[in-house]
Amino acid sequence: MFHDSSQRKYWTFNNEDELEQLRSEANQKFRKKIRESGKHVISESVFLNRHEEDVLFRNYERTLLDFCNVFKPAMPKSVIGTAIMYFRRFYMNNSLMEYHPRIIMLTCSYLACKVDEFNVSSSQFVGNLVQESPAEQERVSEQILEYELLLVQQLNFHLVVHNPYRPLEGLLIDLKTRYPTLENPESLRKSVDDFLAYAAMTDAGLLFSPSQIALTAILSSASRAGLNIESYLTECLGLKNEQETLSKMYDSMRRIKSLLKRYELPKPDEVNACKQKLARIHVEFGTSSNNKRKRGYEEEGYVAKEPRIREEEWTDEDLV
Amino acid sequence: MEQYSILGRIGEGAHGIVFKAKHVETGETVALKKVALRRLEDAIPNQALREIKALQEIEDNQHVVRLKDVFPHGTGFVLVFDFMLSDLSEVIRNARRPLTPAQVKGYMLMLLKGVAFLHNNNIMHRDLKPANLLISSSGHLKIADFGLARLHSQQEDRLYSHQVATRWYRAPELLYGARKYDEGVDLWAVGCIFGELLNSSPLFPGENDIEQLCCVLRVLGTPTNDTWPEMAELPDYNKITFKENPAVPLEEIVPDSSPHAVSLLHGFLVYPSERRCPAHQALLHPYFFCSPLPAHHSELPIPQRGGGGGGHHLNPRLQAAPADFSVDLPLKSSLVRPAQLRGHASCL
Repeated sequence: MFHDSSQRKYWTFNNEDELEQLRSEANQKFRKKIRESGKHVISESVFLNRHEEDVLFRNYERTLLDFCNVFKPAMPKSVIGTAIMYFRRFYMNNSLMEYHPRIIMLTCSYLACKVDEFNVSSSQFVGNLVQESPAEQERVSEQILEYELLLVQQLNFHLVVHNPYRPLEGLLIDLKTRYPTLENPESLRKSVDDFLAYAAMTDAGLLFSPSQIALTAILSSASRAGLNIESYLTECLGLKNEQETLSKMYDSMRRIKSLLKRYELPKPDEVNACKQKLARIHVEFGTSSNNKRKRGYEEEGYVAKEPRIREEEWTDEDLV
Repeated sequence: MEQYSILGRIGEGAHGIVFKAKHVETGETVALKKVALRRLEDAIPNQALREIKALQEIEDNQHVVRLKDVFPHGTGFVLVFDFMLSDLSEVIRNARRPLTPAQVKGYMLMLLKGVAFLHNNNIMHRDLKPANLLISSSGHLKIADFGLARLHSQQEDRLYSHQVATRWYRAPELLYGARKYDEGVDLWAVGCIFGELLNSSPLFPGENDIEQLCCVLRVLGTPTNDTWPEMAELPDYNKITFKENPAVPLEEIVPDSSPHAVSLLHGFLVYPSERRCPAHQALLHPYFFCSPLPAHHSELPIPQRGGGGGGHHLNPRLQAAPADFSVDLPLKSSLVRPAQLRGHASCL
């Protein structure tokens, strides 16, 4: 249930400012790390600023979505939603300058397949990188496994993502059975699906519950089709005498819609400029390593210096 | 990891070694399950992901093992669980005489509460068996090992693997290769465990998959259109035919059991999954409300892990500290002999 979920407890934030705050901190943390590493930085302008990070983020998120949409065998929607959510969560606390979005994006989608029990082997997975040579595919596959643990750790081991797709089905069933005013709820489906596909590329999933997003998708699709179904909230969802809840709900819906309205794909030339900048950062500061699995932990200070007792010395005698 | 000091090795799980350890700060004893990715090309095992996924999202339940923490360690990570003394397979194996009807009821009550909780949370365990039912030092049963567990959803047309569950506890639809199934597979396993508790020996000890099916068919009779209408749709239905034989009355299979016990057992051991008695409903079966009533957890045997003591000596920690009153401790260890109180309490 969403109510008891790690998503609600740890990955639902109050407002957009809070999200921006975290992302800025991640950006600053990277700059600080480089400065402290003693490598000379000619100018702060070599780093990506928040806007540039955002441009690249949206670009790679789009690439991730495209990759998932043409994936063979066809990837279920919930897997795609989970992959995108992992990607968003990962860069809440990490800068794009630290970990290259290209490999993180693939790792997110690989992990989402596993967690959501959409079982594909790693070779089958990278086989979907159709433009790459088999050798390059093999290399990517190794990289994914290298980053998988880092990703799981950065997600704080919170693996279950609640997507709006299930609440959507529930709401549609409810509309069909209890709300005759709307004659054919299925006719909204196409436009609802589009809404949710867009919503996935905004921060909506980090700010609102999946059912709020699904409900907004339905109401907004209905109103676009010239249907007013707001009485569904008062008549069927029992909000008739709940003025406060109702106005809160309207407020959430307004904010979700505004997130979608503000979304735009970054411009190609802007993306290219940022990509070049990112490439320079990676060359200059050598942020990639051939052993992320280990590195990720050591940097975070997680690795125990020396275990108290070496594993080999632990015996069954201790139990007697 | 510095938070824990290792006390010893408990065993080897499906995805790593399990250690007994002490949380330095709280003194709490825990089980650490280490998931090590030794080689760089190792992916994180699905079992570990499933275990985290299933246990992280549910509230605490007395009859489901608790995942207290997960943290990265070395080139892998560590899952932290409550430490459990033993498991039900050891209880059954070590019992000097068969469990009393009240004890069997006590175990069944706890098992069904745990299963009802999981199913209510849309979790199919898919590998229920005595070895996965852990027993705490206070005699509580907790369902563990969620390496095969999955969150099930009615809406999606996704296929599941039929290579789940340990053979003896595998539901007949799985033996026939079903790829779409439901929590009924857990209820079948519950039935098998119930039978094993009643008889102190496994109900259907097949040595291979075909023989497993034979074992089931020998007891339940060859399935017919009446007893199992959906059978013909199962993938492997046509691959194998058995000589027809009638069902054996369950009374003969669990000969020393009460009629209520037989009736409940019958609720689980039926061919069509949807006719199996759901866990929450089974908890209301008269079996649990008639004499002898289910045994209190303090009246259940607690074998030492790995020790052949057969549940006769109490855990030393519990014996040593009678003043340590806790509802989780066996009642016995909290009681004071009346003789000791004489002279202090006037009513004695």
